[in-house]
Amino acid sequence: MTVHAHVAPSGTSRVATGITRYWGIARITPLGELLAPPRLSANALRLGVQIFLVVCLWRALYAQTSHVAGLTREQAVTYAVLATLAGRMRILDRRYGRDTVLQHMHFGTVIYWFLRPLAPRRYYVLRALGDQVYGFTWALVGYAICLWAGAVSLPSSTASMTAFVVSMLLGQMILYHVMQLIDLTCFWTLHNSAALLILQFIQNLLSGSYSPLWFFPDWFNTMSSFLPFQFTLNVPLSLYAGIIPPSDAIQQLCFQGAWVVGLALLTKWLWRRAARRIISQGG
Amino acid sequence: MHAQFRGHENDSDVIVARGLCKVFHTTKRRPGFAGALKSLVAPERIEKTAVQDVSFNVSRGELLAMLGPNGAGKSTTIKMLTGILVPSAGEARVAGVVPYEERERNAARIGAVFGQRSQLWWDLPARESLNILRDIYGVPRSEHRARLREFDEMLELSEFWNTRVRHLSLGQRVRCDLAAALLHDPPVVFLDEPTIGMDVVAKEQVRQFLRYEVEQRGRTVLLTTHDMTEVTRLAGRVVLINDGRIVMDDSLEEIRRRFGGTWQVHVTFVDPYAANHLDGDSSLAGLRIVRREGPRVVFGPDEKHAPAVHEALKRITQRYQISDLALEQNDLEDVIRVAFQRQKLHEGADVPPSNIAEISAAGVHER
Amino acid sequence: MTSIREAVKHVSENRSISRSWRVTWQFIRLNIRSQMEYRVNFFMSIAIGAVWQVSIVVFAVVLLTRFPGMGNWTSSEVLLIVGMRMLSHGLYVLFFGRIFELSSLVQEGRIDTFLLRPLPVYRQVQLAFFPANAVGDLAVALCLFVDSLIRSSIEWSPGRITFLVAAILSGMLLEAAMFTALSSIALHFPTTSYWSTWLDELMGTFGSYPLSILPRAAEAVFTFGIPLAFIAYLPAGVLSGRSATLGVPESLAILSPLAGPTAFIATRLLWNHSLRRYPGMNS
Repeated sequence: MTVHAHVAPSGTSRVATGITRYWGIARITPLGELLAPPRLSANALRLGVQIFLVVCLWRALYAQTSHVAGLTREQAVTYAVLATLAGRMRILDRRYGRDTVLQHMHFGTVIYWFLRPLAPRRYYVLRALGDQVYGFTWALVGYAICLWAGAVSLPSSTASMTAFVVSMLLGQMILYHVMQLIDLTCFWTLHNSAALLILQFIQNLLSGSYSPLWFFPDWFNTMSSFLPFQFTLNVPLSLYAGIIPPSDAIQQLCFQGAWVVGLALLTKWLWRRAARRIISQGG
Repeated sequence: MHAQFRGHENDSDVIVARGLCKVFHTTKRRPGFAGALKSLVAPERIEKTAVQDVSFNVSRGELLAMLGPNGAGKSTTIKMLTGILVPSAGEARVAGVVPYEERERNAARIGAVFGQRSQLWWDLPARESLNILRDIYGVPRSEHRARLREFDEMLELSEFWNTRVRHLSLGQRVRCDLAAALLHDPPVVFLDEPTIGMDVVAKEQVRQFLRYEVEQRGRTVLLTTHDMTEVTRLAGRVVLINDGRIVMDDSLEEIRRRFGGTWQVHVTFVDPYAANHLDGDSSLAGLRIVRREGPRVVFGPDEKHAPAVHEALKRITQRYQISDLALEQNDLEDVIRVAFQRQKLHEGADVPPSNIAEISAAGVHER
Repeated sequence: MTSIREAVKHVSENRSISRSWRVTWQFIRLNIRSQMEYRVNFFMSIAIGAVWQVSIVVFAVVLLTRFPGMGNWTSSEVLLIVGMRMLSHGLYVLFFGRIFELSSLVQEGRIDTFLLRPLPVYRQVQLAFFPANAVGDLAVALCLFVDSLIRSSIEWSPGRITFLVAAILSGMLLEAAMFTALSSIALHFPTTSYWSTWLDELMGTFGSYPLSILPRAAEAVFTFGIPLAFIAYLPAGVLSGRSATLGVPESLAILSPLAGPTAFIATRLLWNHSLRRYPGMNS
């Protein structure tokens, strides 16, 4: 007949259960991709071709000049390749798996987030973390290959490398909060797919994924310095390539830190409002 | 007619709803671009009462069916009982926990399937989804394996649980969703129109599974549905809900007895002259003779003191020798419809003239 | 027409043709009207179409203001490629763009519905919804195209103008042909949508640049593998007087506007063939 209560697990096994649980959740998106070798190889091919073509493009542009806007050919090519690799960490496409927040709201499956013994926010965080770590693995492997193939060069000093690593970490945190904010707006309105696409484009443009921000006119850069986007990609990559010297690194890292803290507070507040809204409107 | 709930709750009541109300506040949508701007600047708020004063109990091991038209408030009630929505007034308790106050604690003890919404991950094989849920709910692996085997026997999951959910048919997906909902052995299960859109064979399989879970495993189930066959096959008790209020809360038999009054028993007597001597037979009190054609007689219920149809059958067959017997009974849909209409009449709601004749004929209707 | 019967048949066929085009026009009007109901989303979609292209524009313009040219092409010559490609693409999205969404139409079961109606399925696919984003797309494309014409130093003779118009229309048909070919496969293998997205990405990224910047092998792939070169690179090269250095025989370059119609007819036949064997949604 019944349901016997689970015996409460002891300390270590509780930790083990916790880890299994979090691991199981974090690996959902990667698992979907890994279980489909054709999709996996297609992604690898795409990345490879993109990097190859980007290298050709920038080398051709620099064929007749050596310095443009303060960047040498090596710096520009390195930047572009790293930007392409970092693209794997920016957004894992969950639309195909019907797994974006917008889709969950649209299909109504978001209610199940509230029916599990797991806080919705923690679930979201675990998924995002899993996606980023997976993307990072791709980027790392790609980086190693590019280094070996000579598409990118190492940074000029260990100071640059360290600054880059810290900056990239902070930049990813900023990006993660920005994505979370965008996802959270879906809890309020569903008719915003167009606005979301525009936001994504703005984000890509202003973070420097299309081209190093150094080539943009000054007024543009002044404007974008008030937004967090340039700190997600342009600053870390510029530190790597030596466009921003290590001496200026501390200042940039402070800016990044400030954005992380500010955005973290904002998202925390917004999550509370979002959960309250679901609970009053029913999803 | 007030909604009657089963007196005061006792210890074996697993789901308790008391005076639940839910009022939604939305802003009125004005058409056109100017309207959209106006709504942003000076929104006009409208209130919509989805559920009003809903009270009922469900005891352990019982399956309660909640019936009602679209928009009656069934889904809203279930959402309040599962902790997704916070009621505007009233209280609810499920297995001793207030769902909207202790959401996570409640979540570990309930399972839910919402029709047409799957909780499985679209891009992963069904089996993987079940494994992830096992980890989320903290079910030990051996238990999980045993339970999956059990579900597989009844629902034939192993035929397709290695396929990605996006490639499953509706019937397959619902079966997986059911397995997912029961994976952690919850004592209480909420089902919101789970079999909607499924084919007959799959529906029957699901029904058998549910019956097994309720009867053999003692789970408490609250089921909302439109499907009368489901109600007939599964439910012992039915709650009718309309416009956010409970219309009726009674056992199926009782409802049938009160509103399913119309039945007809077609009898062919062995003795061709027996039909002429029926009048004045005291054992046939409460039975009305609708038609007589030689040895064939059609009995129907009398206005007052009409017995239930099986009682009538018993009396006729005990008293007379018959060579042929046929039975016509209102199907449940008609019964429920009459119940709703009677309710509307009692509340003085506007009843369109075409229905009045039907109602005033007190349930007797021609087929 | 040798007999009255044939004449009558001809007339009634024409009437049914004009009827089918009238129905087509009705569809378009209905689509527009239904999308206009969500005014905000409609205008947002137009904005997205524009905004998406501006990314290419910004990239191209910024690079060209900072760099003297690409390969041995001057900036204004590269701008002509960009302008021609964008205009062809905009026209393609307007008239044929829905073929890109074929996989979702298949999944929604709409192809099955289309098969029951007395209009060609290909046309119904195009009429599935009105592409509001194409309006924005085209607006930007026209601006850029006109700007490139102004900047170019080409002497515009009637012959050159005809060639230009033919090239643009051919580009539109060629892009349509490529996606029609992919969609013919998508009717049977839904995962093809992934390749469609990739192709779209590739063409968007590299269709706007002179292919001479790529190594010979890559140039060959984009000329004979994916016929990207025929869309804007070869015609622009001919107009700029470089027909000898385009990596293909000069005669082929001059005949490049024929590639579009040829490819389109061929892939339409492929589509018909594939449609006849369409197995239905749930297989």
